[in-house]
Amino acid sequence: MDSDRIAEIIIAEIRSTVPELEAQPITRADSMADLGVDSIERSEIILATLEAIGVKVPMVQLHGPRNIGELADLLHAKSKA
Amino acid sequence: MTRAVGIEAMNVYGGMACLDVKELCLHRGLDMPRFENLLVQEKTVALPYEDPVTFAVNAARPLIDALAPEERARIEMVVTCTESGIDFGKSLSTYVHAHLDLPSNCRLFEIKQACYSGTAGLQMAVNFLLAQTSPGAKALVVATDISRFALADAGAVEEWAYSEPSSGAGAVAMLVSDTPHVLRIDAGAYGNHAFEVMDTCRPGPDTEAGDADLSLMAYLDCCEGAFRDYSRRVENADFRESFGQLCFHTPFGGMVKGAHRHLMRRLYKAPPKEIEADFQARLAASLAFGKRVGNTAGGSVFVALAGMLETVAIDAPMRVGLFSYGSGCCSEFYSGVVTPESGERLRAMRIPQALDRRHRLTIEEYEMLLRGESVVRFGTKDAELNHQIVPDAWPVDAAGDRLVLDAVVGYHRKYIWI
Repeated sequence: MDSDRIAEIIIAEIRSTVPELEAQPITRADSMADLGVDSIERSEIILATLEAIGVKVPMVQLHGPRNIGELADLLHAKSKA
Repeated sequence: MTRAVGIEAMNVYGGMACLDVKELCLHRGLDMPRFENLLVQEKTVALPYEDPVTFAVNAARPLIDALAPEERARIEMVVTCTESGIDFGKSLSTYVHAHLDLPSNCRLFEIKQACYSGTAGLQMAVNFLLAQTSPGAKALVVATDISRFALADAGAVEEWAYSEPSSGAGAVAMLVSDTPHVLRIDAGAYGNHAFEVMDTCRPGPDTEAGDADLSLMAYLDCCEGAFRDYSRRVENADFRESFGQLCFHTPFGGMVKGAHRHLMRRLYKAPPKEIEADFQARLAASLAFGKRVGNTAGGSVFVALAGMLETVAIDAPMRVGLFSYGSGCCSEFYSGVVTPESGERLRAMRIPQALDRRHRLTIEEYEMLLRGESVVRFGTKDAELNHQIVPDAWPVDAAGDRLVLDAVVGYHRKYIWI
C-alpha cells in the first residue's frame, strides 16, 4: 500500500471520527490539529488507521509528523519495516 | 495462601478552594464541545498558604486520629509520593511525620516518578509488609501534588490551554497494613511497562513542559503494555471479565475514556456501543472525585479508587483493576479486592462534604492567585504568609484540625493548625 492510499485511509478515518469534517476538503498538507481534531480524536484516528493497514507499532513511534502527508509517509515506512 | 495486605484506611483531601472549570474555559475562549470531552467540572486551586505538606498532613490526619495509641505506634514507614517537592534533599515525609506526631522509629522517604509515584509508594509499603521483617507494622503512604501556573503573559495562557483546565491539586493518604479493610492487594498480580520518553517534565522548580499528543500516546502504549504484562503473570486474566470496576490514573476523564476504548478495540475488537456501555458500567464511577479536583498526579489513581468506592454499591467481594501511569515513563496495572466494608469505610471519611466546603474562587480571585505574587517559590529562604489573601477562603468554622503554612524561616517551613 503506498503513502497516498494510506493518506486516503487517514482522511476517511478523520471524517468518521469527526463528523463535522465530513464535507470539508482535506489534503495531505493539512494538519489534524489545524482541522480542529483534538488530541484524543487524533489518537483514535491513528489507531484506526493502524488497524486498517495492519501495522502494529507503539503509538509513541508515530509522534512527530506535522501533517497528514508526513504521517502517511511514516506509516508507509513502518509498514515496510 | 498469600498473606492479606493492602490499604487499611484511605482519605482524599481536596484543599480549601476550587474553580469552576466551565467558567474558566468560557473565560479563556476555549471550544466548548472540546471542554465537554475533558470530563472535568471543578479543579482544586492551592492557596499560597497551602503546599504539598499541608495537603499531605490534612489528608492523613483523620486516619491517624482514628487509631488507638498502640496502632499508631506501629506506623514504621512514611512515604511521600510527589512531583511537587519543596527541597532537593529534605523530603516532605519529615514534615508529615512531625505534624502527625508519629513514632521516632520510622523509615521516612520520598518517591518521585511523575504520576506513577503513588503506586510506587504503595507497592513499596505492600512489599515491606509482605517481607515480614516487622510483623504487624503499618506504613503511611501519601501521594500529594499541587500545580501552580504562573500567568506571565498571553502566550503562556495559550501554551497552557489544554492543561490549565485539568491541572488540579490534592492528596491521598493511605494506611497500609495487614488488615486491608479498603483494598486487599492481589500480591504478585501486577504488570509494568516503561520506557524513556519526553512527554511531560518539570525542568525547573517552577516550570512544567509537555507535549499533549506524545503524553497521550505513551499513556495508551503503557495501558496496553502493562495489562499484557499483568496477563502474562496472572493466569486467565481477562480485561473484560476479571474486574468488576476499573480505576485509572486520570489526567482528565477523556483520556481514561480513550485508553479504555483503545484496550477494548485492541484486545476484543469491541464495537463502539459495547465500549461505551462498558465504560459507563466499569469506569464512570471512578471519575466522581477526579472531576471535582482535577488532575492530582501521583494521587490520581487513588482518587479514582475513592470515587468508585463512594459511588458504587458493593454487595459482595469484587476485584478492581488499577492502572497507574507516570510520564517519562513508567506504568503499572495491578489489582485488589474490595468488599462492602471498603465502601462503608471510605464513605465515613465524608469526602464529598469536604469538597463542598471549599471556597469557590471567582475568576478575578483565581487570576490574582495565578500572578503568584504571594506564592512561596522553591528555594525561598524567608517568608510570611498572608492568610487573608482571599478572605472568603479562610474557614470560619476552624476547629484546629487543619494545617496551613504560616512562615518560612531560614528555609524551614513553619506551619500552624487552624
